[in-house]
Amino acid sequence: MEDERAVVTSNERVAEDFYLARLAAPAIARQVEPGQFVEVQVAQDFSPYLRLPLSVGQRDVEAGTIDLLYEAVGPKTAALSRLQGDTDVACLGPLGHGFHEPAAGAAAVLVGGGIGVPPLLFLGDYLRRGGCRVILLIGARNAGKHLPPELLEPAADEVLLATDDGSKGHHGFVTELLPGAVERTRDCAVYCCGPYGMMAAVAAACRDLRLPCQVSLEEYMACGIGVCVGCVVETAKLSEGDDASPYNRYSRICLDGPVYDAESVCW
Amino acid sequence: MLVSDVDLGVEIAGVRFRNPVLLASGTCGYGSEMEQVTDLAAIGGLVSKTITPEPRPGNPPPRIVETPAGMLNSIGLQNPGLEDFITQKWPYLAGLDTRIVVNIAAPTSAASGAMAARLDELDGIAALEVNISSPNMKDGGMLFGCNPVAAAEVIEAVRKSTRLPVFAKLTPNVTDIGEIARAVEGAGADAVVLINTLLGMAIDVEKRRPILANVTGGLSGPAIRPVAVAMIWKVRQAVSVPIVGLGGISTAADALEFIIAGAAAIQVGTASFVNPNAGVEVAEGIAEFCRRQGIERVASLIGSLETP
Repeated sequence: MEDERAVVTSNERVAEDFYLARLAAPAIARQVEPGQFVEVQVAQDFSPYLRLPLSVGQRDVEAGTIDLLYEAVGPKTAALSRLQGDTDVACLGPLGHGFHEPAAGAAAVLVGGGIGVPPLLFLGDYLRRGGCRVILLIGARNAGKHLPPELLEPAADEVLLATDDGSKGHHGFVTELLPGAVERTRDCAVYCCGPYGMMAAVAAACRDLRLPCQVSLEEYMACGIGVCVGCVVETAKLSEGDDASPYNRYSRICLDGPVYDAESVCW
Repeated sequence: MLVSDVDLGVEIAGVRFRNPVLLASGTCGYGSEMEQVTDLAAIGGLVSKTITPEPRPGNPPPRIVETPAGMLNSIGLQNPGLEDFITQKWPYLAGLDTRIVVNIAAPTSAASGAMAARLDELDGIAALEVNISSPNMKDGGMLFGCNPVAAAEVIEAVRKSTRLPVFAKLTPNVTDIGEIARAVEGAGADAVVLINTLLGMAIDVEKRRPILANVTGGLSGPAIRPVAVAMIWKVRQAVSVPIVGLGGISTAADALEFIIAGAAAIQVGTASFVNPNAGVEVAEGIAEFCRRQGIERVASLIGSLETP
């Protein structure tokens, strides 16, 4: 983990309200694993005050860069979207624990929605380089909110889209695509990141299908390193056995997560 | 005049701190996470996260939300409890090259005294900081700190149970913080620490629901700094024990306001969430200020405010 002085080398709009910032951050690029995140200080004048936590969407070790894909929806993401080439930003990372790889020979089905897609792109690309077959399912409100094919294709052997309004791909929830995708594999592990309701639905579906499922959670976050204990989730497995102390009821997403076994989360 | 070697040391209740910058309770955990991202040997001390007699799970999420120039928190004192603190957290803290102040809270004055007596058995604690000011504790905390009699009872119980210096951490959510400060000084507090967070609330207007699951929380960050500085200045005139100041300190200039207003030491809190090295940078900035101003001892700045 480092608090690296990163340089924003490019910052482009890639879909409706979505931007891709490329940061020169060689130390973080070298260390980061799929599912881990960074905390970016988007303002130098403490306004907005706290850092912006963002999952890493891709990295290039040789070029020493990390890609951050984000939706400009609040003051901090809007501030980041205004940063132009060669701006310095403090970037703390890599933070948290990333995804575990699927069992040998198993495929990976990645289910993403909205701002939950970026860590899955890094994961998909990483797994494919290791010879794993990857199916990527993505849900969005409308066609304009989907990331362009050139960002999705490196991450998967097969990409299936869904939209709430039917303007692109399947008309309905992305979760409805899950059973069909699973059927096309002999054995698979499921990875999910997106809105809470979507992750809860995917977790429930995987329980029924007896499939291992990992989810990447989000919560209001401050420090990113486990000291403020602000970003927590109630976990089941952590509060059993030796760790039965009430102290362990809530797990720190920034430190113990953001990736959890879906079965350990109290949905 | 240029001073090459500024004496940054300060003494509070007989405890010498290498510089006046401490990390505030609840913003540096029990040390282990911070050590990876900052140099704890370059700060004056660390105040460990509040412990209670029994372990506590804390409040359900959402526990925090950002607000203009600050944040609200309602962590709810998630902590391992006194005994697990002693076995699992203290050995690590005791090995750090910095002063360790242990922050405690309990539902009654008797339980506060019992905690102090137990901690008195450990070697290496610089002082006890008694949290009579948490807005997130329904069975103590701010309930004590808002009432001079209750505040004095807790501090007296702790004072009688330990040989360690006792710091009383005060809440700003009172009509007259000077009255509370006088009460705890009378009960034997060796220093007063102020301010804890201001009670605050944020609402999601679309859903017409509070953002925090606990409804209200404590406001911290630069937003509260002027309130804190005024309270330091007020308490300085009310008591003679040393004051440890905190509330929104992010830079050396912020810290100097507190010291000049009367604080013998300061704590960096929420700023560590933005910059985990903030404490070290504040200490370096104070040294730079002293060099520039030709000040040999930072202690000479304490309470040096010139009022018109």
